[in-house]
Amino acid sequence: MPTRDKDARKRRDEARAARAAKAKSAPKKKKAPQAPKAPERPVAKVAEPPGKRTASARNPLFPIGVNYYPLEAETQSWDDWYDRDVASEFAAMAEARMSLVRIFISWKLFEPQVGQYSDDAEDRLSGIMDAARDNKLQLIVTFFADDRLAELLEVPWGKKRDARTDQYLLQRETSLIQRIVNKYRSDPVVFAWDLGNEAFLSGFKTQPQLEAWVDTMREAVREVDPDRPILFSVDPETMFRHTGVDPRDAIDKGEIAVSHATAAYRAYASEGPVISGPSTYVDGFLLHSAARDLPVLMDDIGMLSLDHSVAEESAHVRTVLYTGLMNRASGVLLRRFCDLDTERREPYFRDPFEVLVGLVDVDGEDKPVMNEVETFARVAAWVDFKEYTLVPERTAVLIPGERYEPLPNLAGLYDPRACLEAYMFAKEAQLPVSVAREEDEFGAFSVLVVPSAFNLTDETWERLASFVQSGGALIYSYGGGEAHPAVRDLFGVEFLGDGGAVDSLTCRVAQQDVLGTLEPFDSTLSLPHFALLGHGGGTVVATDAKGNPLLVANQHGQGRAVFIATPVERALAQGDPWAAPAEVKAMMQTVYGAVASAAGCGAQIECDIPEVEVALFNGEGDDIVLLLNHSPEAVTANLVFERAVASISDVRGGTPSQIGAVGLGVALEPNGAASLRIVYA
Amino acid sequence: MSDDASARLYQALVNQDAAAAISVIEQVRGASSDTGTLFESLFAPAMSLLGGAWAAGTIDEYTFTQAAVVAEQIGSFVMPSSTAQDTGVTVLLGTMHRDHHSIDRNIIAAALKEAGHRVIDLGADVRPAEFLERLDETGARIVIVCAQMMATARSILRVREMFLTGGVDDAVILVSGGPFAADKTLARTVGANGVISGAESALKLVSRAARDLRKAGRIS
Amino acid sequence: MTGRSQQVALAEGLARQGHIQPAVEACYQALRIDDADPLVHCLLAHLMLEGDFYDEAIEAATRAIEIDPDCSPAYLALGLAYDRRGGMWDQSILVWHELAEVVPDLVTAHVQLGEAFSAAAFDEEAIDAWRKALELDPHKARAMYNLAIAALRKEGVATALPGFRKAGELDPSQDDFFFALAGIKDDGNPAPDPEDVEEDRESRLEAAGALAFEEDFFSAAEVIRWIFDEDHDDADALALSAYLYIKQEAINEAMACALRALSINKRTRTAIYCLGVTFSKRPGLNEHAARVFGALAKSSPDEPIPHVLHAEALLGLQKFSRAETAYQTAIRLDPACVRARFGLAAVFFTEGRHAEAMWEIRRAAYHDTRRQGLFWDLYDAYTEGSA
Repeated sequence: MPTRDKDARKRRDEARAARAAKAKSAPKKKKAPQAPKAPERPVAKVAEPPGKRTASARNPLFPIGVNYYPLEAETQSWDDWYDRDVASEFAAMAEARMSLVRIFISWKLFEPQVGQYSDDAEDRLSGIMDAARDNKLQLIVTFFADDRLAELLEVPWGKKRDARTDQYLLQRETSLIQRIVNKYRSDPVVFAWDLGNEAFLSGFKTQPQLEAWVDTMREAVREVDPDRPILFSVDPETMFRHTGVDPRDAIDKGEIAVSHATAAYRAYASEGPVISGPSTYVDGFLLHSAARDLPVLMDDIGMLSLDHSVAEESAHVRTVLYTGLMNRASGVLLRRFCDLDTERREPYFRDPFEVLVGLVDVDGEDKPVMNEVETFARVAAWVDFKEYTLVPERTAVLIPGERYEPLPNLAGLYDPRACLEAYMFAKEAQLPVSVAREEDEFGAFSVLVVPSAFNLTDETWERLASFVQSGGALIYSYGGGEAHPAVRDLFGVEFLGDGGAVDSLTCRVAQQDVLGTLEPFDSTLSLPHFALLGHGGGTVVATDAKGNPLLVANQHGQGRAVFIATPVERALAQGDPWAAPAEVKAMMQTVYGAVASAAGCGAQIECDIPEVEVALFNGEGDDIVLLLNHSPEAVTANLVFERAVASISDVRGGTPSQIGAVGLGVALEPNGAASLRIVYA
Repeated sequence: MSDDASARLYQALVNQDAAAAISVIEQVRGASSDTGTLFESLFAPAMSLLGGAWAAGTIDEYTFTQAAVVAEQIGSFVMPSSTAQDTGVTVLLGTMHRDHHSIDRNIIAAALKEAGHRVIDLGADVRPAEFLERLDETGARIVIVCAQMMATARSILRVREMFLTGGVDDAVILVSGGPFAADKTLARTVGANGVISGAESALKLVSRAARDLRKAGRIS
Repeated sequence: MTGRSQQVALAEGLARQGHIQPAVEACYQALRIDDADPLVHCLLAHLMLEGDFYDEAIEAATRAIEIDPDCSPAYLALGLAYDRRGGMWDQSILVWHELAEVVPDLVTAHVQLGEAFSAAAFDEEAIDAWRKALELDPHKARAMYNLAIAALRKEGVATALPGFRKAGELDPSQDDFFFALAGIKDDGNPAPDPEDVEEDRESRLEAAGALAFEEDFFSAAEVIRWIFDEDHDDADALALSAYLYIKQEAINEAMACALRALSINKRTRTAIYCLGVTFSKRPGLNEHAARVFGALAKSSPDEPIPHVLHAEALLGLQKFSRAETAYQTAIRLDPACVRARFGLAAVFFTEGRHAEAMWEIRRAAYHDTRRQGLFWDLYDAYTEGSA
């Protein structure tokens, strides 16, 4: 989260302005790497209790919050905007250790006629501010949102004009923003100004339109409030997927970025049960994808359909919350505070009384998912980011630039799935991993993974060669078609052609221990391409059953490049992730893990269960280890540390258990999490 | 079991003499206390002999077919019963008041019936008073209450309260439904003795509860 | 519509060969020429569906239908996209209704309609749809599986299990497994006439197997009799006889032959299979069936069907968690095993894991509909009708 240090902000703004000026003359912007640098976080607003190590009630550097919608029942009208006992609900949020609440302005209520603002609306907003202040909560104020119910933007005098592009409406929007911002510009209750939510912003048809609108609204805010962070709540990957509009440049103008997995994106990238497989990794993938050089708020955490049981809902929310904490989110926002009280319907859905997915039910009773949030908040409170830092991510999955090509180029459809699959392999190999884009600087990384890309630019190939030459490691899986000429020198292979589709993947290990301990296998797997390779100097580590090279490792300069002859990531992503051949997954995990280890950024803690994600926070005298079980089965994760562990205890306190060894086992419930304080011998 | 008995059964089948076949079976049953293996030790060898005779040409196709018909007739004498023996345990089952979810309840009820328990399915939307009424009427001491919504799951507490008010303090209440899987403490909060997570767990828990109740002399 | 343009024909040709990227490019070229050609949008929808890009498939199919509301292949693509994507059951129901009216004998439309109804909790309507599907095609296994699941949800596993087994018998993969055990493969050559079979045991056994494969049971029986005339203690021949009797619903005869075969050679896998099948037809012999199929699964670990058969026997014994393990093994071996998917769904329902159960049913539908290749049938009929 941004600092309150004005000098630091000034330096950053100057740097950003300089970059923007440069970008106007250059066709592409290269983003500074995000991986090793922790985003700046705000100074604590919550006083720490004195004395012995104790957690504050909330973690000021990892706020937990919730979206608080204006209406709580379908039968309510648009002018019932927050017309309820906000104070008691805010008290409940505070009791659950939340510290952040997003509210949504109703333009329709605030400006019922042009230029005339409703006192009642302003009073209600004032009441909300007071209630937040009283409960030590902070607010994210969202100006332009579409919540499908409260008609927030449907000003009667708007005459159905498009609020995104109509100049007259833009002027009125500016006035609205300035009126509200002006009133609260020095009120510490406001955490950030949010220009709009994804439902509204998805209506932009082109990138210039979006950027123009963002610029206008930002200026409107800045004219009145020069300091407070501004965000707008779109995830760059999901928005591009749904609309074809790339919001990255617009996001970069803000101080905070946002990630969230929409229902449509889940259906595209990780369809299936929410408690196993890709569904449990997609949030982390999007979080890393959204993190460029801004802190990222992980937004909209919660169920997106009514198909799941209460237990599945709890498991899913737990998984996503811990994913955020373990993957460098700067805070989390849950989807909805209270279930929406809906009209009684025919049994069109399973429940006779259909509800949307809040933390409390329509009667105000906590649901089990609220317990999850409270438990998580207690854990998060103990992870003091001033004392503990997450191990930097030196491995990155590269999203190719072709991902942004429109149809008929299918790369934009295949690549994100392949990248998610690669991200999962890296996670299952226990690697701290991030996501980068083709145009990003590679310098911050030690290992790059390019999964099943169809094409990279010539410039990228040069940069990759230079990256490896300088000591980096590259894992590249052939994506089909003609191989780039750079492949020959970089990977030490002679590309002889695309062997076409095959129905099986076989592996015979030629050189053991070059890429870890590989096992031979014969597996049924549909692969769309298989590169036929001649020897070009690289070490053939494994072949298929007929002797065609499958894995080739080549020393290039000071670094190493590994060529995988077939688009494994794409094949598994396109297939049934729950029926992916275990031996193929094991091969990929082994290769990723071995390359990263050799590059000095392998798993810090070994774990024998690939589905258990491990995050290590290094401290001065001790470390914190968080474990997350991505599978719906109970497991015991056997961990092996680099040095002997003297004792472990729950991060929240409790009697330490003496260990005196490098290894220990941790029992995890289905989709369970564990948070341990490790003291070394 | 002697080969002789199998041979006699085989002969009875070949002779299309169902009565003789039954007689052989009854003799074997009478002579041995271990009747659970009649199929493996008597029927299967006899059928093997039948198959061999057909293959050898000792019996023709017609005789083979007719023998098979007789085998079908006497099958119920030698095959284990497809229905489980009555355990004597009565189980009351219902979905809590204001809750209409039935699928899990139907599956659990069917599994318990299949296992030989006496299941009284009260259906959906069952008030606590009705549970008590049927408990008194049937003498059941095992009650399974299903709920799929948080509100109805919490209200199961009223069932225990109703039972206590009615002087029933020894009933075993087992609960089932998503809310109990999500919140591990909820079952205890509502006064339940256990959580059923599916048909298989229902079978295990009911058997255990029945065993404990029998030991305590609460059920026969 | 006057016929397909060259560009459309090119796109179609590429699509039929499964060259997705070039076909998509050709479609876009065709759209530049004429963006109001429903065939192109239809092809695009199909291509997107092949890649599991459901939103794009929905967009393209919707466009095709806007241009021509009678474009039946577009309805098919649209309905499948909705169903595979999930969460769009209300739209899906409308589409399948429409398609069932436009192409009334399209069995899949009724099966999919039933599944959409079921997902939207219209259980009675779902059952009606599946029954309608069976009226049109009594061998439609997926309709039967769905009805078995519906029975499970009302009346438990014992009621559902016969439905699973009956549906399983309609599935050729079970017979394929038997023939795989017997070493009989479809090599493109017809089975020999019994009179032309050479007089040695091996040739006769091979010929009998080939005739059985072609479902010429009487000729097969005739040849087997010749084997018995030379040696009536031939375990393989007895096992093949057992199979023939099973196919003719003569279970006791089959049991007799299988038992005899195993008394001669207890390792005869074809006999083990036949014995297991006969046991599975007798509810009281579930335990025996489980033992036999368990042994068969151990001896054929890389074949999905024995694991499925083992799982079904375990279902009959209410050993649900072991059945789950067996079904999972089968699915790992063959993700497209519809029978295993439905079986696993049944197990999940017994454990209250509804979302996972519905997912398995969706995956079964996915693989089943992909296998059927219905799009091109409807596409050809549509283009012929409009030519």
